[in-house]
Amino acid sequence: MKISLNTIKQYIDFELPPVDELVERINQRLGSVEKVTDLSEKYKDAIIVKVVSCEKHPNADKLSVCTIDDGGKVGDIPRDEQGHIQVVCGAPNVHADMFAIWLPPRSTVPASFDDKEPFVLDARELRGVVSQGMLAAADELALGTDHTGIIEINPDEWKPSKLDITPGVSFAQIYGLDDVSIELENKMFTHRPDCFGQIGVAREIAGILEQKFTSPAWYIDTPQFSDASGLEFKVENNAGEKVPRFMAVAIKDVTIKPSPLWLQIELIRLGGKPINNIVDVTNYVMLLTAQPTHAYDYDKLRGHMLGTRFARDGEKTTLLNGKTYELTADDIVIVDGEGIVGLGGVMGGGNSEVSDTTKNIVLECANFDMYTVRKTSMRHGIFTDAVTRFSKGQSSLQQPHIISLLMQSTFDVAGGEQASGMFDIAIEHMPAEKVMATPTFIIERLGQRIKNEEIKRLLGNVEFSIDEHELTTTESFASQLDDIGEVKERQFSEVAMYIAAPFWRTDIELLEDVVEEVGRLYGFDRLPRVLPERSIEPAPKNARFEIKRRIRQSLSRAGANEVLTYSFVHEHTMKKAEQDITQAFSLSNALSPDLQYYRLSVLPSLLEKVHPNIKSGHDEFVLFEIGKGHNKKYHADDDEGLPGELEFVDAVYTSKKPHEGAAYFQIRKLLSTLAAELGFTLKYVPITEEMDYPVTAPFDQKRSALVESRSGEFIGMIGELKASVLQKFKMPAYSAAITLDLSGLEKASAEKTYAPLSRFPAVTQDISLKVSDHVQYEDVFSLVWLVVNEHKPGECDVQLMPLSIYQSADTTAYKTITLRLVIASYDKTLTDQDVTQVLDTVAAAAKEKFDAERL
Amino acid sequence: MNTTERIDHARAALLTRYEALENKNDIVKAPELKELFGLIPTLQPDERASFGQAVNQLTQEFKDKAAGEKIVAEELPAIDVTAPFDVNSKSPVLLPSENGTVHPLMREIEIISDIFNRMGFVTEESREIDDQYHMFETLNFPKGHPARDDYDTFMTVETDKDGESLIAPAHTSTMQNRVLKKYIANLERDEPIAAIVPDRVFRNEDLDARHEHTFYQVEGVYVAKGVTVGMLIATLQKFLEEYYGKSLEVRVNPFYFPFTEPSFEFALSCPFCEAGCAVCSGSRWIELLGCGMIHPNVLRSANIDPNVYTGFAFGCGIDRLVMMKAGIEDVRHFESGKLDFLRQF
Repeated sequence: MKISLNTIKQYIDFELPPVDELVERINQRLGSVEKVTDLSEKYKDAIIVKVVSCEKHPNADKLSVCTIDDGGKVGDIPRDEQGHIQVVCGAPNVHADMFAIWLPPRSTVPASFDDKEPFVLDARELRGVVSQGMLAAADELALGTDHTGIIEINPDEWKPSKLDITPGVSFAQIYGLDDVSIELENKMFTHRPDCFGQIGVAREIAGILEQKFTSPAWYIDTPQFSDASGLEFKVENNAGEKVPRFMAVAIKDVTIKPSPLWLQIELIRLGGKPINNIVDVTNYVMLLTAQPTHAYDYDKLRGHMLGTRFARDGEKTTLLNGKTYELTADDIVIVDGEGIVGLGGVMGGGNSEVSDTTKNIVLECANFDMYTVRKTSMRHGIFTDAVTRFSKGQSSLQQPHIISLLMQSTFDVAGGEQASGMFDIAIEHMPAEKVMATPTFIIERLGQRIKNEEIKRLLGNVEFSIDEHELTTTESFASQLDDIGEVKERQFSEVAMYIAAPFWRTDIELLEDVVEEVGRLYGFDRLPRVLPERSIEPAPKNARFEIKRRIRQSLSRAGANEVLTYSFVHEHTMKKAEQDITQAFSLSNALSPDLQYYRLSVLPSLLEKVHPNIKSGHDEFVLFEIGKGHNKKYHADDDEGLPGELEFVDAVYTSKKPHEGAAYFQIRKLLSTLAAELGFTLKYVPITEEMDYPVTAPFDQKRSALVESRSGEFIGMIGELKASVLQKFKMPAYSAAITLDLSGLEKASAEKTYAPLSRFPAVTQDISLKVSDHVQYEDVFSLVWLVVNEHKPGECDVQLMPLSIYQSADTTAYKTITLRLVIASYDKTLTDQDVTQVLDTVAAAAKEKFDAERL
Repeated sequence: MNTTERIDHARAALLTRYEALENKNDIVKAPELKELFGLIPTLQPDERASFGQAVNQLTQEFKDKAAGEKIVAEELPAIDVTAPFDVNSKSPVLLPSENGTVHPLMREIEIISDIFNRMGFVTEESREIDDQYHMFETLNFPKGHPARDDYDTFMTVETDKDGESLIAPAHTSTMQNRVLKKYIANLERDEPIAAIVPDRVFRNEDLDARHEHTFYQVEGVYVAKGVTVGMLIATLQKFLEEYYGKSLEVRVNPFYFPFTEPSFEFALSCPFCEAGCAVCSGSRWIELLGCGMIHPNVLRSANIDPNVYTGFAFGCGIDRLVMMKAGIEDVRHFESGKLDFLRQF
């Protein structure tokens, strides 16, 4: 929202503070200032002059040599005996006795003011005659694009300044171009339709400067419309409550011409564009009041009528912008007797436009349902000043005031007379109910004692009205003086304020809205800052958050790097990981195909990050991420009926150079370390039947395992990746990955267990068992563990660890597993023999179960 | 040599090269092809078109050949996955600890969470798929509300039970209603509801150095009897002073959010300079977050009586906090997975 301080000044009766103070106050109490532009520099040298004489140039047909009277304003310049200055002018409309705008030598042409190299004028010879500066056309002054002639100023025409038009007077001062424009962030005004007009912002500026604002009489007083005739005209609303108010009137015998200079300049300062007097007036009224209005060419309205209805699906219309739109039954249209002449609240139609030949017009001022307007605008991608304003929800009590002003202004700039009655089709509009507030309520919410009088003054400044009544309340309280804490009652009285918001404040509905208004006008920064008081009850811990912190710490200590990747993936990523994309949720409005789908699991995103890191010179690393995956097919809905979210802890290990042994064991080491730090041990279960889930898809399942805690909690999967997957992600062959379920890790995690230290020395003995290659290490280890514990000599601290798994180069049919037993009794010193006996039993059991040979 | 001979000659050379290549796709970069392309400008103008076409055809021929290449999965034998290490191998060692890193955003979330936990706030987490009810309705954005447009919200093709698209949360305020309901019993015990939600959020925006479609936000909620605007400002000021380890000035500017009334933009005096710097663009103030007093409709939708209880809420971007602190120049680094970036933290 762009405001002009010169326009604001027309509606206030006090002096504004310096601009930087004003901007600071607006920031504090109204909303964010985005940009401040000072126009005064741009026009400071433009002077209104009188052309005294005008002769044809001796050497050029199209040029004139003029002398001008600048009232002696400019110094250090050649003058004739009468004190006049010579200027050469090429405009066809230059003539003696006219008032024109002169840009003297050494001044900057305003149109080039913002250029990198602004054009500075000079005394210059034109075909042998010296011209001191120039007389300006509209385009040179950055007031439109017209270059057909210089601007002629009519000294008798209305102008915003009280100064007279005399030679030498400042052009900027007369027409308000010594201005500062301030742009405010629109978002701030989402609920403030009134602030999309200069008058609304002027009122707020008064309010935040703690000054009284008085709206112009025409905005407050109920207008009286007289009946008139002359043009046959009728109006109907067939869109029901979606058009809460529709007003229109026919005007005959208007003269279409360019607007007076002041109006053109006013429009340009406010960000508009002059077209013709009728269109300019409708726009100007909107810029002032935030109420969009529209003018139609009466003679182009077939059947001499104007109405509203919903469009028919597929109905087409061409709007003022020249584009054709196919409408839906949810769009409000303005129609004449035969068809569409406008898209309601959005844009007028091309077929009923006011043009140079227009004689009679219809003025319309209506209100449209904000949600309908917004949807129509979004649906067709049409964003206009009218949409911005209607979609904030204008008050339906506003239109009579505005159409009255519009009609009067039309007569002022285009003549004509009312030629029909004032049509007003409205559903009943009650002013908003008064909000009852007690000063206590306001004070409690703001935390500041503000006097009743001040509350009334602050709200009164922005034209709220307030009635006060005494209220008597009975309050129960426990007597402090009485030991037994007897409950007593006391009566106290308080003033109740009945607060009525003015009609344009559609945002004030609740007590809280009034509190905000008081706080804002008082200044939120002035409120006392105190921390809330609370008991010393500890805030509960979030177990999920804590386990993630532990996982992160553990994995990073183990040399892994935590990464974050997007929750959305391109279908290629899932396909490369051989996942079934039909199981993924897909986005309907993503700007990029890289964000087509919600990912099924985290791992494929990590695999994508391997190759770029290898390329940038990292040879061996582990990437891990804790993140969510979603699956339409396999994840059940949660308690809220929303898609279940599974949180993964995924990691990938990779190395350009292979190490001893399969890559699987590299990441297994990492996983075992993680589990140990989370206080549990893992069981690695070989996959006997090929599984087909998104999480298992990238894994080479014969070199992968399912992972459970010893207590049977499912944790996830570990393994090497399929060669095809490695190839598609351009990954080194020596890679392996894990994909874990965070909730499994959370459930399995435990405090670490402690075994008391024995006072007696430990005995260490190794046992080597040669078994068939088919026998799994885990089975051998478990058996040894079981037998040792069954046959240990009394209460012992037992530790069993793997030493080696040997396979001879000659045959892969057998392997030899060597385990080390470290055992200490809590009661006595063990002898070697005690332990040998135990291991003999182990060997016998292994012989029986696995046909193992003890070496 | 005429065109055909030249092409045939090159094809033979390319085939030999192709067989030797490890990555078959690299064949398009072969010097033989480059040489052929290089010849084009030296030819007579009338020959150029047909020759160029022939070279293109040859290139395509090899592209197709490479694309059609069966992925020769090197069949590796099964391994004993129950073993702690491979046969005839030592137990693997972990990567050096000094290589390991925690993601800077996650580290920051922990720091922020710790401070708020000390201040009595519980940490909650958010979702990645949510419904419009929690994104908008419970936060006082009725259907069709213009403020819905301010959140460039990702929508799914799939719909919820009401037939509405699911959404990727564009703010962690989606958790307000849930947090209020979860801890409503606190109020009966005269304890406040005090929670923060630091988590991932999404906006459908084009990427550049300052804009990410995926980022992190911390939402805060505090509800009790007699909570005032002054308490909101004081709480955030205290948090920021603890976070930056120094005393700071703060200020609020009025703003508009549907779910708070009044709403503010909250700024702090720049903690990095005394007289203006690049972080604060010389202004000495940093616009940091949005906040306000929780709208009565939001309390009501969680069955809390707004006449008895009031509260405040705030939402702050975490990425920006880290970027300002560490001087990170491009927000896209966070989700880039680049070790060169990550290993600096």
